[in-house]
Amino acid sequence: MAKEIIMPKFGFTQEESTIVAWLKQEGDRVEKGEPIAECTTDKVNMEIEAPEDGILGGIRYPAGATVPVTEIIAYVLQEGETLPEASAAAAPAAPAAEAVPAAPPRDDADAGEAGATPLARRIAEAEGVDLSAVVGTGAGGKVTREDVERYVAAMRTAEPADGKVRATPAARRAAREQGLDLAAIAGSGPRGRVQEADVLAAAEAQAAAAPAPVAGPVPTSAPQPAVPVAAPVGEPQVIPLEGMRRTIAQRMQQSYQQAPHVSFTLDVDMTKAIAFREYANQRIPEGQPRISMTALIIKAVAWALRQHPMVNSYLIRDEILVMPDVNVGMAVALEDGLIVPVIRNADRKGLVQIGQEVVDLSRRARSGELRPEEVADGTFTVSNLGMFGIDRFTAIINPPQVGILAVGRIAKRFVPGENDEPVAKPLMTVTLVTDHRVIDGAQSAQFVATLRDALEEPASILL
Amino acid sequence: MTEAITTVKPERAEALLAEIGQERAREMLEVMWTIRAFEEKAKELYALGKIHGTMHLSIGQEASAVGTSYALRPGYDYLLNHHRGHGHVIAWGRGNNIKPTMAEFMGKQTGFCRGRGGSMHIADVESNNLGANGIVGGGIPIAVGVGLSIKLRRTDQVCIVMFGDGAANEGAFHESLNMASIWDLPIIYYCENNQYAMSMSVERAFNIERISQRACAYGIEGFTFDGNDVLAAYDAVSRAVERARAGEGPTLLEAVTYRWEGHSKSDRQAYRTREEVKAWQAKDPIPRFGERLMQAGLLTQDEFNAVRDAAYQKIEDAVAYAENSPEPDVANIMDGVYA
Amino acid sequence: MLETTTTATRELTYAEAIREAIRQAMEQDERVFLLGEDVGVYGGAFGVSAGLIDQFGEERIRDTPISEAAIAGACIGAALTGMRPIGEIQFMDFVTLSMEQLVLQAAKLRFMFGGKATVPFVLRMPGGAGTGAAAQHSESLENWFVHVPGLKVVMPSNAYDAKGLLLAAIDDDNPVIFIEHKLLYKTKAHVPEEMYRIPLSQTNIARQGTDLTVVATSLMVQRALQAADILAEDGIEIEVVDPRTLNPLDDQPIFESVKKTGKVLIVHEAVGTGGYGGEIAARIAASEAFDYLDAPIRRLTGLDIPIPYNRTLEYHTVPQVENIVAEARKLVKGEY
Repeated sequence: MAKEIIMPKFGFTQEESTIVAWLKQEGDRVEKGEPIAECTTDKVNMEIEAPEDGILGGIRYPAGATVPVTEIIAYVLQEGETLPEASAAAAPAAPAAEAVPAAPPRDDADAGEAGATPLARRIAEAEGVDLSAVVGTGAGGKVTREDVERYVAAMRTAEPADGKVRATPAARRAAREQGLDLAAIAGSGPRGRVQEADVLAAAEAQAAAAPAPVAGPVPTSAPQPAVPVAAPVGEPQVIPLEGMRRTIAQRMQQSYQQAPHVSFTLDVDMTKAIAFREYANQRIPEGQPRISMTALIIKAVAWALRQHPMVNSYLIRDEILVMPDVNVGMAVALEDGLIVPVIRNADRKGLVQIGQEVVDLSRRARSGELRPEEVADGTFTVSNLGMFGIDRFTAIINPPQVGILAVGRIAKRFVPGENDEPVAKPLMTVTLVTDHRVIDGAQSAQFVATLRDALEEPASILL
Repeated sequence: MTEAITTVKPERAEALLAEIGQERAREMLEVMWTIRAFEEKAKELYALGKIHGTMHLSIGQEASAVGTSYALRPGYDYLLNHHRGHGHVIAWGRGNNIKPTMAEFMGKQTGFCRGRGGSMHIADVESNNLGANGIVGGGIPIAVGVGLSIKLRRTDQVCIVMFGDGAANEGAFHESLNMASIWDLPIIYYCENNQYAMSMSVERAFNIERISQRACAYGIEGFTFDGNDVLAAYDAVSRAVERARAGEGPTLLEAVTYRWEGHSKSDRQAYRTREEVKAWQAKDPIPRFGERLMQAGLLTQDEFNAVRDAAYQKIEDAVAYAENSPEPDVANIMDGVYA
Repeated sequence: MLETTTTATRELTYAEAIREAIRQAMEQDERVFLLGEDVGVYGGAFGVSAGLIDQFGEERIRDTPISEAAIAGACIGAALTGMRPIGEIQFMDFVTLSMEQLVLQAAKLRFMFGGKATVPFVLRMPGGAGTGAAAQHSESLENWFVHVPGLKVVMPSNAYDAKGLLLAAIDDDNPVIFIEHKLLYKTKAHVPEEMYRIPLSQTNIARQGTDLTVVATSLMVQRALQAADILAEDGIEIEVVDPRTLNPLDDQPIFESVKKTGKVLIVHEAVGTGGYGGEIAARIAASEAFDYLDAPIRRLTGLDIPIPYNRTLEYHTVPQVENIVAEARKLVKGEY
């Protein structure tokens, strides 16, 4: 009898996993417990083990494929066995939200002809659904979790759907307050009506959900399954989305959704910039803060903004305001958020002064001592994650600004020399992201080129 | 149609006039003219669209109104009025309350009821005019309460309640007369029998000859008289008042009279003949009283005319007052529902 | 039941509390007197005025013939002319014979006379089913009067409220229809001896709760409180709201309660169709409480039938404690 190998679920909120590599191939002999594939989820790599001795066959997903948990990915066959009736790969089921053990128990004894997935079985039991009445859309007509949920929802609905959401006034108010879409929330009330509790549960689930993308609506009506074989992982830590986190969340979403973000990346040869910084720091008296590379970058950015005023503007409703002052914001990472203090008139300040402000603002940002006027009126933002070892990244524009510069680390890389010989150079990758409503590609390219020139030849700023 | 069975005999008339006195008698005549002028003007204004709704004119019934009110003490005694009671309102005010009456007809803020009542519900509670009633017989049970109140407070006040022949057949009439009779309440139950309820004549509506016969059903005094004879009305009511004040209880009075106009403005009077109306109009109570006064040497023809003219002028003044008065403010529409 | 247990309390029945209110008001104010059928020597059909004639005499405790229209008219006329009468209609059913006087005269005189008349009287009447008196002696017609501006309508649910509300009604300058429930006459509560007044148009929270608002009137308040004890054993805490004065209604506490619980059940004995529950439901749906409703507004009322004579049928015609419990459970569980 062919033994199914399913994509296991390792985490409480894990919904899918990506196959990194098959360690065994089609037709290989495998032993029970032997790792046959590697998969990854949330940057965690796990191994998938063969559940039985036998021959690996019927591999349904190649390396690199992302598979929902509990989906069948292969079989272990015995001598002379054939694969179960071939069926097109079933559409991935909606991700589950309850605890499922790494090696779920499977019991085909009371399934329908093709059986049901363990998850489907659990839900059916909890809802009191007769599995044989459920139409299966899984492999070989297997009843999937989605099938059972659809059946349950259909049973609850007395009349055909008219496209309108049934929800109580209290639920509607809660949805408004939480910023949730009622249509996306499953209702536990009569005839599938959304109750206030459903909305609140959806809001909580969203706050606690893992970053893994959700394929469908956040499930709130799925019941808790029967006791799993492996020990449960415990309760999730619930962090309400409020305060700075909420603000960041709302602003990031709004900016990302409203501004068409276009990114422009280039590598800057920081040889001369590094040398210049050394020179500048030697001239700083003892006890005074040294000029950071960020300060130098801010100075160069300020100068480049003067050359390209459009990048130094605001978009407010229907108007582009080309701002007269160059105020460069500097993103500072906090323990659980970020804040952007502003170096005003950065184009008119000397590097030493900028260096001092950078140090002072960063310190006070981290200790929560910034004054409101110090985070206001920024016209452009610089975000440097080089100290975290990031090579390159893209950032989200800070409205009403129209551009942001994401700066990676300076690292030695080999570039072709004069005779195409490999030469090691300290390169820094910068990524400019601009709002295409205001800044077109050519303009953006010109700006970032100007910046590169300034950083590669710092002295040119003096001209 | 029956003749009135009691009218005032000449000797009695003399005595009554002596009691009333010349000045008061002339005043009574003037009030009768005021009522007549008022009713005619009201009819005219209605036809012109300046008064809306409906109205129930009492032209031809002036003697009944004036005779009764001068036998009482308005402001001390109580009046409960019916819907055809403009005459009683005016008589109760001795003809000095035309302006607020006319203003109420026009629904103005300066009307007796601030425009909320209209012609059918005019009240002047300050002078103990406890209001006209749009419900036939509606005031009859209320009179019981007024009489009871007088009795409990031990004053010598009297309550007169006006109603028509039709009201005498309402159930509440019987409950009330009975209750007033068992407690000897100081009430005068005054029935203005003008021969018709709306279209139903008294001949068809009653199995008895005289409405006052019903008094015996309650063991009280009942008396029918010529309602178009001012002195007869005065006399009958005076006697009833005496009885009431002596603690002898209620009296049922029946004033036989006639209304010249239809029941209301929308009555085409198919139920009676023109001849009948004309016959009663020939017995107009106002000239009848005027002649009596002139015969007694209390009035000259010229004075009669002057009184009449003055009355009509007073009405003109009242109309001007009412027309210039303000409408009620809609912002106050909820006022007066609850105390 | 509002039984009190401390020895220092003074317990009176609902009937005794009303009698005490009448007595104390009459002692204090000469203008107050009682009239109605069999209120004097007989002491009232339900014994409410027993003994009063001995104290006040037959002038002020006045027996009347069977003349409901005249009784009402007498109240009106006396009130118009400086007295403060208390009329009694022997069964609420018979008030139908007083309707013209109450609806067309008492309610409207003040308004029709431009606010210049005052008609201060109280008309008391026992209503309600449960005594096997059948269809013509068991009526609950309160909503007829609620529907007439100018009248106030009061329904006390317990002895303490009965005295305080009656004294307030006697003081009130408007005609007040004071509806007592026959089955409440023998119920007891702590009733202070002094003349206290419970303001008209002041809604009472008879019991606090979080899971469901139950708005009830008259006898149904008592049944709701009994249901509350049963439900509390299962951890369901209902809030019982007693309007006390049905019109003019103090509706704000009802809205606040519904906002708190999100669910509301309206319970009255009277027939459901055209009943007072519809008025409450409409007001809730139009108020700020609408956004807090997590279930449909439900009414539990008398059936749309005349009260039957047979005891079992009568029992099932009006809301009983178990009906309130069942409805409350369904609402709290989200079955509606």
